[in-house]
Amino acid sequence: MNRKIFLLVVAVLFSLYPAFSNSSQQILIKNGTIVPVEGAQIQKADILIEEGKIVKIGRDLGASASAHIIDASGKYVYPGMVALMTAVGVTGYPGAGNDLDESGVSTPQMDPFDAINPEDPCIAVTRLGGVTTVMTVSGTRSPINGKSVLMNLEGRLAQDLVIKRYVAQIFNMGAKSEGKYPSTLPGVVSLIEGKLNKAKQYARKKEGAGQGKQGGNENGSSRFSIDLEMEALLPVIKGEVPALFITNDGVTIRNALKIIDEFGLKGIIRASKGILNYAEILSEKNIPVIWTGTKGIPGRWEPFDLNYHTAAVLAEKGVLFAFDSGGWGPDSRNVRNLPVPASLSVAYGLDEEQAIKALTINPAKIMGMDDELGSIKPGKTANLVVWSGSPVQMSSRVCQVIINGKIISMESIQTRLRDQYKKH
Amino acid sequence: MRNRFIVFALTVFFVTCLAWPQDLVLKGGTVLTVTKGIIENGTIVIRDGKIAGVGKNIPIPTGIRVIDVTGKYVMPGIIDSHSHIALTDVNEATDPVTPQIWMREALEPSSDSIKKTLAGGVTMVKTMHGSANIIGGVNVTIKLKYRDRIENMIVQDARQQLKMALGENPKRLYGSKGRIPSTRMGNAFVMRNAFVKAKEYKEKWDTYEREKAEGKKDLKPPEKDLRMETLKMVLEKKLGIDCHVYRADEIVWIINFCKEWDIDLLQLSHCIDGYKVPDVIADAGVCYGGWIDWWGFKEEAYDGCPYGFEIMHKAGVRIVINSDSADECRYLYLNAAKVLKYNDIPEEEVLKMITFNPACALEMEHRAGSIEKGKDGDIAVFDKYPLDSTSKCLMTIIEGKVYFDYAKESITAEGVGYE
Repeated sequence: MNRKIFLLVVAVLFSLYPAFSNSSQQILIKNGTIVPVEGAQIQKADILIEEGKIVKIGRDLGASASAHIIDASGKYVYPGMVALMTAVGVTGYPGAGNDLDESGVSTPQMDPFDAINPEDPCIAVTRLGGVTTVMTVSGTRSPINGKSVLMNLEGRLAQDLVIKRYVAQIFNMGAKSEGKYPSTLPGVVSLIEGKLNKAKQYARKKEGAGQGKQGGNENGSSRFSIDLEMEALLPVIKGEVPALFITNDGVTIRNALKIIDEFGLKGIIRASKGILNYAEILSEKNIPVIWTGTKGIPGRWEPFDLNYHTAAVLAEKGVLFAFDSGGWGPDSRNVRNLPVPASLSVAYGLDEEQAIKALTINPAKIMGMDDELGSIKPGKTANLVVWSGSPVQMSSRVCQVIINGKIISMESIQTRLRDQYKKH
Repeated sequence: MRNRFIVFALTVFFVTCLAWPQDLVLKGGTVLTVTKGIIENGTIVIRDGKIAGVGKNIPIPTGIRVIDVTGKYVMPGIIDSHSHIALTDVNEATDPVTPQIWMREALEPSSDSIKKTLAGGVTMVKTMHGSANIIGGVNVTIKLKYRDRIENMIVQDARQQLKMALGENPKRLYGSKGRIPSTRMGNAFVMRNAFVKAKEYKEKWDTYEREKAEGKKDLKPPEKDLRMETLKMVLEKKLGIDCHVYRADEIVWIINFCKEWDIDLLQLSHCIDGYKVPDVIADAGVCYGGWIDWWGFKEEAYDGCPYGFEIMHKAGVRIVINSDSADECRYLYLNAAKVLKYNDIPEEEVLKMITFNPACALEMEHRAGSIEKGKDGDIAVFDKYPLDSTSKCLMTIIEGKVYFDYAKESITAEGVGYE
């Protein structure tokens, strides 16, 4: 009997072991070719990870006896990729219901945090592709859509996954509706400008109400009532939260730039077309670009490789840009294909180093999180991927993923299906 | 006298050039024959649009255009056996049974999609009816001879294939209209019923033809029905079948159905669950056509698994990578490279998935899909090894004629630009 209890206790402790071992245990990645992204490649070097952070990079690093060793001989260590404009966590699997795109033309208060499902199988599929961080949006189909969150793809609860709650407000310059307002681009522009003006007035009113309260104004506080739509726009008009504009051609880009200028917003342009004529302006104004058009088919009179070559021009003109995996809208299922546009861009003229930046440090910068993410540097979050080759090679395999300094199980719904059907 | 000789010689030269524009030599490249190994520093001679010789020490005939491809990679033209490019219309989504529809009527030879697709080394596609109907239209296999005459584009000796579809698409479309089919049982009924009627129709006509041949008098021919005519051609094996199918149960179902009716199922399109029943597919000798990593975009696509290729390859399934997308068709070689990310399959076998295997799915392996003497001169030239994802197509050649030339058409070429 006693022996049974003892065995049970041992079994329970053993089953908890991975949880214990991952929380504060040291990890040493040994003998890999390290591609720190910021700085030169280091051959045959080690990375020491402690308490979820990168502690040291160098040759022949020592670690505690209990450290978990990952042998990366003959392999490459890259920072985890950062994917923008995804729906990971929000549109999980078919039949579970779609939580993207709330109805209405202006829903800035929608917060994807409220819909994040940590059990979404896309999370494991995505990180097995070397993507360790995603920005998830609440929608893209309205002129004003909602907030977006930044998540590391590791954690049990939504609050464990999310590392920044409100990284950008998503505006869509192309979101005209058929048969109802706004059905034209000027309509979309005026709707957005109208809401931003209203938010400014709201800010003044709120400020006044606050002062009134302190000053004992008898009517001040009672006249003011909270409006969640306006509340969501406040940090945007104050320039604290970036305004991300989805554009679909040169004209929508021009109008987005106009709104950014007029309201003094911290702008981000997501472009699928027509970006090259604005490259210099964007570079001068330091407005970053999420370039999603690489895979798009150019127009009839445009050269076949216009879009393949665009990233090379953006890099040459000094525009800060990131790739994203989506097409028209966010696609949560194949965010792992984030390197595809990078490969095509390298094939048609982009420097590979720039391409890797546009998958890692650039999106981290655009999200204002480059002090924690996007490169291999002591002090940064240990989001690392051991690859068999460069991520821009489609044939390269992801050998091991580490997120928040934890060794991630290399399992997903798809590896389980593989294991199940391999037996036949 | 000398002048006259020069004029004569020049005339002969130009007439030769005009008469045989489909003669071409590619010299010095690394030739990926796909079926017969790799030839370093190889030469390919194309005459009258056909490969007249391929090898290391092939004599180069005089008077033929020679393209030096030293340092480049030469592979067979890429083939996509599931595409919807170059069509003005795709889905006759008004009735679940529309075999009277022939996609060749919607073919647009100057469609820009042909030009854009050529830039990805693609030389031949089967461009298809959509998946709205249980029985859609007859697909058309074409060479991407941009702006050529339709009869030259359509591969005349290719047996064309009827598009059929099972699963969610027809069910959703007709179910939403309150029509049959709205269930998988309805799907099965609609398909079976069509063939029951076709068999009756065929018997009527067979009887008529037989009696006519026997010299019987006062015969009245049965009424012509264009829907039934197509299905009769399927029963007579004058047409093959490509069936859109996702789930394992339906893969098995359609294989059994085609066996039962003794009709030729040539390709299973999309075939998401193929890896669950690889033995059934291999035994049926039908090609798997699908994507490497698409999944989850609808319920029946939920079990898409990029690791499944290895399971199928081991079971002997002939795997074809399809784009089903005007966009992805332009870089099928990247999709092929992805196979290596998830599966241990030899690289030559992977290259076959975008060349030789789709040629088999189109029953065109005697003419296309590899670089061999006697086959069509359909070639793609790449700057690097095509499974290197930073490679690009430099030249696409169909039957000895250059249809795409990077040096002339790239944005980086002189006089092109983007402004």
